[in-house]
Amino acid sequence: MKLVLLIFIYKLVMPVLLKIVGVRIRNKGAYHGQKQFIVVANHNSHVDTMALLSSLPIRLLIKTHPVATATYFGKKKWLAFISNLFVNTVLIKQKDNALQLLEQKLKKGHSLVFFPEGTRGKPGEMQAFRSGIGVLLKAFPHIPFIPVWIEGTGKILPKGSFLPVPFEAEVKIGAATLAKGVSVEEIVVEVQTAILALRGRE
Amino acid sequence: MQYFKDLTEIQQMILVILGVLVFATTLFWIWKKMKPGPQVDELMTRTKSWWIMAGIFTTAAVVHPAISFIAFGLLSFAALREIASISKNARLEDRSIIFWAYLAVPLQYGFAYMGWFVPFLILIPVGMFTFIPFLLVLKGHTQDIARSMSVIPTHLMLTVFSISHLAYLLSLPELPHFNAGGRGLLLFVVFLTEMNDVFQFTWGKLLGRHKIIEKISPNKTWEGFIGGLLSTIVAAYLLRFLTPFTTIQALGSGLLIACMGFVGDIIVSAIKRDFGLKDTGTAIKGHGGILDRIDSLALSAPFFFYYVYLICY
Repeated sequence: MKLVLLIFIYKLVMPVLLKIVGVRIRNKGAYHGQKQFIVVANHNSHVDTMALLSSLPIRLLIKTHPVATATYFGKKKWLAFISNLFVNTVLIKQKDNALQLLEQKLKKGHSLVFFPEGTRGKPGEMQAFRSGIGVLLKAFPHIPFIPVWIEGTGKILPKGSFLPVPFEAEVKIGAATLAKGVSVEEIVVEVQTAILALRGRE
Repeated sequence: MQYFKDLTEIQQMILVILGVLVFATTLFWIWKKMKPGPQVDELMTRTKSWWIMAGIFTTAAVVHPAISFIAFGLLSFAALREIASISKNARLEDRSIIFWAYLAVPLQYGFAYMGWFVPFLILIPVGMFTFIPFLLVLKGHTQDIARSMSVIPTHLMLTVFSISHLAYLLSLPELPHFNAGGRGLLLFVVFLTEMNDVFQFTWGKLLGRHKIIEKISPNKTWEGFIGGLLSTIVAAYLLRFLTPFTTIQALGSGLLIACMGFVGDIIVSAIKRDFGLKDTGTAIKGHGGILDRIDSLALSAPFFFYYVYLICY
């Protein structure tokens, strides 16, 4: 039931809306042959999550969970319910052993969409990455990360705004990569470098 | 009988367009076989985009009129979105005002479809020119507000007001003894504007010596401009069966289209230089952006429209 809903939203409605709004998704072929991964992207807007979910092939849609903070989406019960139903999120609290929930999902063979900045920054700015992504990739060295560079969505729907306005934006998906770093910090830097490397690519 | 005659003129024109495209495609294909290089690759991608554009414009001219209005409306919308995205002159606080600017697109094309001439004429230069500064004032960010007040209506003029005149050609009343009608005029102005670009490019490559405005557009030469102008006038003479013009009027329309095409082209080039971009986007492959394709049409369309309107209607 949820699968039908997700397919309806992210494979039928969202592609049309994204087209009108002006979001272009590059290199969807990056998911080809991948079973499990962690998508890591910079974050400026709710549009990012919508675009990333609709970039996924149908077979991966139900098994891919955007990671969101419970402090924002878990504030009200109905909001948590909606984000689970329509966005397939996993909500984490930033304090207690937050990553445990994510590890459970990964152990089940599911994938994650992860925004290591932790929150949406100002349009066009990338904030420092938090360490969570490094911890996860270190604990699951066989799961690749897929770096994604997103540009322009901050103008479409910035933090604090509820009115989407059409502007051209681009979502560049990079190749799935296994983290090489040994320490958490090394992996975080590696992921950040991979995302920034996509910035200038055609 | 009337309907049949009308159909044949449009069909003739579609055949001309098809012929030109087939000629260009074969020419570049042979060229590539003989002497491959980056320049011919560029020309080939350009021809590909012309096929797409020709497809869009001819379908719009032949199919039900409502579809053409939607097609042109989408073109304006995409062009407006493109310029709003790359403009460094609109502020981040202006995004909600730009939302209202998009509203001008359905209104303008709605007026064009209904044939309401005065609302069509004043919506942007009078209506939006007032409405947008008013909204900006209500928002209250005064830093650089004057810049936004002038820039956003200008974007609308360049992308919506201008192109909507192509659509309004289809709403012009019928004239006695003029069978091609608005669809003929539409094909005439679009084809000549595009050909003028090609003529200018070709003559410039062949004979170009003296630059016109090197700082804005280093490839524009007097030889290219004059060669293009003369070629376009000849083409206008040959295609005058699509218009209600006398011979002199047809020659004049060629002159007008060539000049205004050139002016539109360099205005958009100058804007692009200001934004620090060579191509305004990547929407049509090889042509780099919608704005790059409609630059010459942005001025030739309204000027041609009022030329026809004042002479014949």
